[in-house]
Amino acid sequence: MTRLAVPLVLPVAVLLLWQITAARGWLSPQTLPAPALVLSTLIDLIRDGEIATNLQISLRRILVGLAIGTSLGLFAGALLGVSRRMNDYFGPIINALSQIPSLGWVPILILIFGLDETVKYLIIAKACFVPTVLATSQGIRNIPRAYIEVGQVLGLRRRTTLTKLIVPAALPTIFGGIRLALSNAWVALIVVEMLAATEGVGYMMVWGRTLFQVDIVIAGMIVIGVIGLAMDSGLARVERRMRRWEPKNV
Amino acid sequence: MSAVEAFAPRATLNIRDVSKSYVVDEKPLPVLRNIALDVQPGEFVSIVGASGCGKSTLLRLVVGLDADYEGEILLNGRRIEGPGRERGIVFQEHRLFPWLTVEDNIALGLDGSDEPQHVLDKRVRDNIALVGLAGFEKAYPHQLSGGMAQRAAIARSLVTQPAILLLDEPLGALDSITRAYLQKELLRIWQQERVTVIMVTHDVDEAVFLSDRVVVMEPRPGRIRSIVPVGLTHPRQRASVEFARVKGEILRDLSGE
Repeated sequence: MTRLAVPLVLPVAVLLLWQITAARGWLSPQTLPAPALVLSTLIDLIRDGEIATNLQISLRRILVGLAIGTSLGLFAGALLGVSRRMNDYFGPIINALSQIPSLGWVPILILIFGLDETVKYLIIAKACFVPTVLATSQGIRNIPRAYIEVGQVLGLRRRTTLTKLIVPAALPTIFGGIRLALSNAWVALIVVEMLAATEGVGYMMVWGRTLFQVDIVIAGMIVIGVIGLAMDSGLARVERRMRRWEPKNV
Repeated sequence: MSAVEAFAPRATLNIRDVSKSYVVDEKPLPVLRNIALDVQPGEFVSIVGASGCGKSTLLRLVVGLDADYEGEILLNGRRIEGPGRERGIVFQEHRLFPWLTVEDNIALGLDGSDEPQHVLDKRVRDNIALVGLAGFEKAYPHQLSGGMAQRAAIARSLVTQPAILLLDEPLGALDSITRAYLQKELLRIWQQERVTVIMVTHDVDEAVFLSDRVVVMEPRPGRIRSIVPVGLTHPRQRASVEFARVKGEILRDLSGE
């Protein structure tokens, strides 16, 4: 009971403060509309399908970008982690490219691809690729030497070494990277939709801001928060399932 | 009489004039100098010595994890190159993969074997029974005590039916009661399997209890000071005068008098 209640303490406090702020008129309704207004806007947006349409478009961008970014990231990360030579060749350049924020790629990509969906996919994929490739290569490189030696002494085949040693040993780090990739994907999505889109949840929020309808902006924030949390806990659940061997009480 | 015994190949190990150095601060630091040792098939040889005498390093050379040395290490007359399944090793830490059950950990040693699955399953079962872990096949390493985990590690090293078993302070991390118990178990397994054993230990009592011969090493650089034959029948009585005499001789050699 308390375990379920504890995460709710802060949101409820914020909601209360928000309600008081709105009721006392500390901030104008144009800047911060009352919770009740936001709620009714949210319900309206859901009812007239506005959210569903935009969310569908945004989710599609997230999933395509995430799929491309993480699978390339896993592949490249595995190569960099396993092969010292690959790491010497490509490690520094990947590191340098990953220092450039996803946002920095937007102008040049728009010049090349226009306002096409490709731009959104590429930006989100890039945002997902970076944490995945870093986590994967690091996870593999940090496998304890003691386990590698056991693999050598037992004469494990390459395939067995991969499935019974490298993947399980690196999995916790890799999953950390993928979860970070997911949260990066949302950031990239909203940025790219605010800059270069005519639909999607991010666009809906920009549109709300230009109309001075902050309630739409906040409704968009709520939707992103809820969906993002759901996707992250889905990933966490998959991760727990794959790490069932771990002691339960830690 | 076990199923494993019938196949156990016989192994003669010859360590000939082996020397090794590490490079520290761009200067060579000798860790082993002119090590010569012949081990007969079925023999139990212990290596004792102060820490830093290179005894564990010597074992790593024999198992094939380190090929950077001078001299020769021959198994049945052939120079060893890299790790091989005819040489099993048990480390001080059990090194079981925490994400695999006991039986899956042990089955790793049979990876890639072209024998039929039921034969492999039986070998895993037999080796679990050999180390007394029947009933714990599906347990994960974190659910085992230190002693049980080390038994599983012994089973993993034996499942390949090695001709020679290398033990690197296998009982060093265990409490004294578990250790005394596992010493008897090691003795039983060695007698049952007739495998050649080389054990590194810093426990002279353990060495005398188990071994046919005890190699005493001295440090900086690691050299063999003496090789002491034990010459007592099993089971050995720790309280006996003979046991104390052999132990005393080894301790004298160790302290360098």
